[in-house]
Amino acid sequence: MSGFFKGLSGGEDMGFRNVELWMVLPAICVLVFISVYPFVFTIRLSFMDYPMIVTRNPIFTGFKNWIRMFSDVKTRQYWMVTLKYAVGALSLEMVLGFIVALLLSKLRFLQDLFTALMTVPLFFAPVLVGLLGRFLFHESYGIYTYFLRQVGLLRGVPSIFGYGPAAFFALICLDVWEWTPLVVIILLAGLKSLPQEIFEAAQVDGITTLQEVWYLTLPLLKRVILVALLVRTMDVIKYFDHILVTTRGGPADATKTISVAVYDQAFQAYQMGYAATLTVSALVVTMVLAQLFVRFVTGRSME
Amino acid sequence: MKKSSRLVKRFFLYFVVIIFLVLFLFPVYIMVTSAFKADVSMFDLPPKWLFKPSVQNFRNLFSTFDILLYLRNSVVATLSSTGISLFLGSLAGYGLARGRIARKENIAFWMISTRMTPLVGVMLPLYLIFRSIRLIGTLQSLVVCYTAFNLPLAIWLMRCFFEEVPKDVEEAAMVDGCNKLQVFVKIALPLVLPGLLATGVLCFIFSWNDYALAVVFTSGKTQTLAVACARLMTEYGIVWGQVMTMGVFLVLPVIALGLAARRYLVEGLTFGALK
Repeated sequence: MSGFFKGLSGGEDMGFRNVELWMVLPAICVLVFISVYPFVFTIRLSFMDYPMIVTRNPIFTGFKNWIRMFSDVKTRQYWMVTLKYAVGALSLEMVLGFIVALLLSKLRFLQDLFTALMTVPLFFAPVLVGLLGRFLFHESYGIYTYFLRQVGLLRGVPSIFGYGPAAFFALICLDVWEWTPLVVIILLAGLKSLPQEIFEAAQVDGITTLQEVWYLTLPLLKRVILVALLVRTMDVIKYFDHILVTTRGGPADATKTISVAVYDQAFQAYQMGYAATLTVSALVVTMVLAQLFVRFVTGRSME
Repeated sequence: MKKSSRLVKRFFLYFVVIIFLVLFLFPVYIMVTSAFKADVSMFDLPPKWLFKPSVQNFRNLFSTFDILLYLRNSVVATLSSTGISLFLGSLAGYGLARGRIARKENIAFWMISTRMTPLVGVMLPLYLIFRSIRLIGTLQSLVVCYTAFNLPLAIWLMRCFFEEVPKDVEEAAMVDGCNKLQVFVKIALPLVLPGLLATGVLCFIFSWNDYALAVVFTSGKTQTLAVACARLMTEYGIVWGQVMTMGVFLVLPVIALGLAARRYLVEGLTFGALK
């Protein structure tokens, strides 16, 4: 045991004298129980059939769940939906977020107030966003449905959440509504930290606004844009509350992202083992994203 | 000529910004006004922009619905998890920032990837583990879930904040005879207090706004506000007036805290990648 601590403490002073180690240990112990152990548990679970009836024992089934995951066309569909959702929502959020942040950065008066107002949707619980969406896109009293019908869209679509493409579009709208403000405040912080002299010099040289954005702002903002993009990508996989309370992945799995699929397998179909296998696949993707984040954004390196 | 064209440009700029604001605040407006509309008038299309506000929804919510119980549950679960995360997180964050600890980058990487884990990645194993020790349906189980996400975030952020504290301030205190723990409590912690509070706000927002975990881990009398809000969608239809009113209750504390901490929001939400 003492060898373990010696190994952990970096050498110089050991045991009780390394106060910092003792400060880190309580948190590590807690995380081992609530984070590391569950992680190992999930991996083990992916090789098992885990019946929901408490009296029956789980059985090891080897690679059965894994073979099922790689052979099931559904799995590919869940990931495709996730990908389409991510690309749709993120591209809109990044473009809109950049435009709004750029506009806000040019304001001389009321910039703080307008930025604060712009961040309001960010504080809405995702479940509330879903509920609001159900109200606003409702087939008979939803105001957005009403507007869309007024301009002649939605012909032959009785209900938005009952028709795959429309439901998908509505969910992306909700996502864009809630999370564009996050992109805005991240990019705005980046814009404010850019060296102003470069822009002043360029203006003296008679640069147009479009040139300025394309040749100066965007390249200088590259790292900040990457931060926003990665943070948002991880959240897209992470949160699914708004899908749960609107479509639950339907109609016909048109909005079933990987997270909703796991939730469904676990708590609707009670296929815990298979749900764990899908979870591990999602975890692998998150790990890669986290790795990218640490490597390219925080400037820390793994020793 | 030049001056007036610049004025037009500036006017146009404000005009566009205000259009974006109207678009993004419209659902908020609908939610708040619907909360104050008497039953049927909230379904009018096009909506009535002028109406007589009524508090009927608020009254219904307090009389037919045990909103105070759910509010209490939300507060207990949120504050417990936030408190635990801040306490352990600031200790560990300081340790990682200052200590010579082998593999500390690996530990830090584990922290950040836990934070990015999809909700289901924690939900599924903890559900089965808690089921075997009969903890499902309790607030404690929910606190553990929230802490699994909040603690890594707190450690990571506090580490970033502590790294910004100049080392010589601490070294000076050491020369004056403080030991490392005293330096931590008396010097470093007060210096990062705004960061600590901002971290607390982020932990609060995550737990308070959660629905997916709470709906699995709580039931009946332990449900949180977010779950109760969604439960207003019954099989007989949705009690929209009360949903909107609950929504106002749900979102108000978060907006208040979020705006109070907004100077640190960006740093916190990007794991300290941006200052």
